[in-house]
Amino acid sequence: MLWVEILNRISSNAYSKHMNNQLNGSILSVEGLNVFYGNFQAVKNVSFSVKGGEIFGLLGPNGAGKTSTLSAVEGLLKPASGKITVAGHEVSKDPLLARANMGVQLQSTNFQPELHVEEIIRLYAGVHGLKLEKERIRQILAEIKLEDAAAKKFGQLSGGQQQRVSLVIALLHEPQMVLLDEPTTGLDPQSRRQLWERMEALREKGHGILLTTHSMEEAEAVCDRIAIIDHGRVIEVDTPNALIDKHRNDEAVIKASRKGKITLEDVFIGLTGTEIRE
Amino acid sequence: MQTIPSTKDSLMALMRADFTTQWRNRRSAIMAILVPVIILISWKGIAEKTGAAFVLSNAISFGLTAIGLMGYAITIARDRDKGVFQRLRVSPIPTWTIMMSRISVQLAMILILTLVVYVVGYNVDKISISPIGYLLGFFAAFIGGAVYLGLGQMIVGLIKNAETVNSTTRLIFFFFIMIGVFGELAPFADMGSFGKVLSYISKYSPYGTVRRILSVAMEPSKWSPETTISLLATIGYAIIFSTLGIKWFRWNSK
Repeated sequence: MLWVEILNRISSNAYSKHMNNQLNGSILSVEGLNVFYGNFQAVKNVSFSVKGGEIFGLLGPNGAGKTSTLSAVEGLLKPASGKITVAGHEVSKDPLLARANMGVQLQSTNFQPELHVEEIIRLYAGVHGLKLEKERIRQILAEIKLEDAAAKKFGQLSGGQQQRVSLVIALLHEPQMVLLDEPTTGLDPQSRRQLWERMEALREKGHGILLTTHSMEEAEAVCDRIAIIDHGRVIEVDTPNALIDKHRNDEAVIKASRKGKITLEDVFIGLTGTEIRE
Repeated sequence: MQTIPSTKDSLMALMRADFTTQWRNRRSAIMAILVPVIILISWKGIAEKTGAAFVLSNAISFGLTAIGLMGYAITIARDRDKGVFQRLRVSPIPTWTIMMSRISVQLAMILILTLVVYVVGYNVDKISISPIGYLLGFFAAFIGGAVYLGLGQMIVGLIKNAETVNSTTRLIFFFFIMIGVFGELAPFADMGSFGKVLSYISKYSPYGTVRRILSVAMEPSKWSPETTISLLATIGYAIIFSTLGIKWFRWNSK
């Protein structure tokens, strides 16, 4: 019916406008986040936002508060204070709606070891309310060049193959916001490049991506903006090039430079120090 | 803009995966059922003296202990350690559905266990009870199963390390077997007042109360005030263990 379609379009446009106004262009918004573990404050007044079509990197040394921030966004831990909004839904008030709009790839691969890849995909499609036929699952696996992996157990796949499956599972429901926690750790250069291309393809489609990584090369290669976090605080937020330009004359950054040319890693070391974190 | 999937769809997807996992782990599931079957076969000689309900209720009690402690607790501890729950928790599903799905697998195991004990008892030991006894036995098995599932939940709530959960549950399983074998069969009366205390502990231990309600459910005519106390104690154990287990449980082992 034409009039039903027109009404749908009007309401859908009105809804989009409403959402855009509400989100102010950002798919993920974190405001004044504070996370405590007992008396220890792991995250201190952290604020940032991620827009659609943007890859936002969260960089920091071990124990800086990256995973705690990400866990709070994912709803895995309850922050002491702060407001987190995903696609217009506040994580503390509408956790299920917020999670329905995010796709998550956790740091370690974590599926039941007895299940086959095909069964894992069907499970995660099911928990997102999707019913995938066998043929569609095979198609999804073929898209990531894993057509032969359907009947394999997850543990039988290589590290790169596991990451591809994890990412495809995170994206099954086409979430607006994608959270990737150190996705390229342990991958060979080929697999890493392939993953970067997938991230860039997601950006092209308008997804917002929040990426945590220890690789400065990765952050420089794929991130549109970066937040450097240390001792629970965001100490810088900017584009990789702007960060390099801004700090290239800092004494600590020059001291950290190894080959004369200032890199993002030099800026990172200059800002966070050289001591090893546990 | 995504919406929240229906709880029914999510639960079905979880249950499908959990039942598949259980099927792939059928060797350990068979072991949980094998213990009661071995008891049934080895107690064939005493079945005539003690009665069918006594033998069947003991066999089911051993099976329930194995399912709750080893089947449930160990898999929960292992999956928590691997981060399986954390991965599920970032999905748009209520967290209770994750546990509900796991428990439904164990309830199916209890159903199978009780059925196997009835069949083996009938065919090997040549023992049988009334149809209503069989039916009430199923109900009692589910109530008794709740005690051990609750106990398993409490153990994974108290202990985070999967290996420690594994060894602790085995130790408790062994302890319950000892209570079952010696508490019910050994003449504590010969040990004076100390024997009386041991007998009392055995009678009102989780094992003792579950076994008694199972036995009386199979022979409803033998219901007594003592059975009522056992039933209340069983329900109490189930509530206390489950409440503490849920309260102490952490989804992440780290």
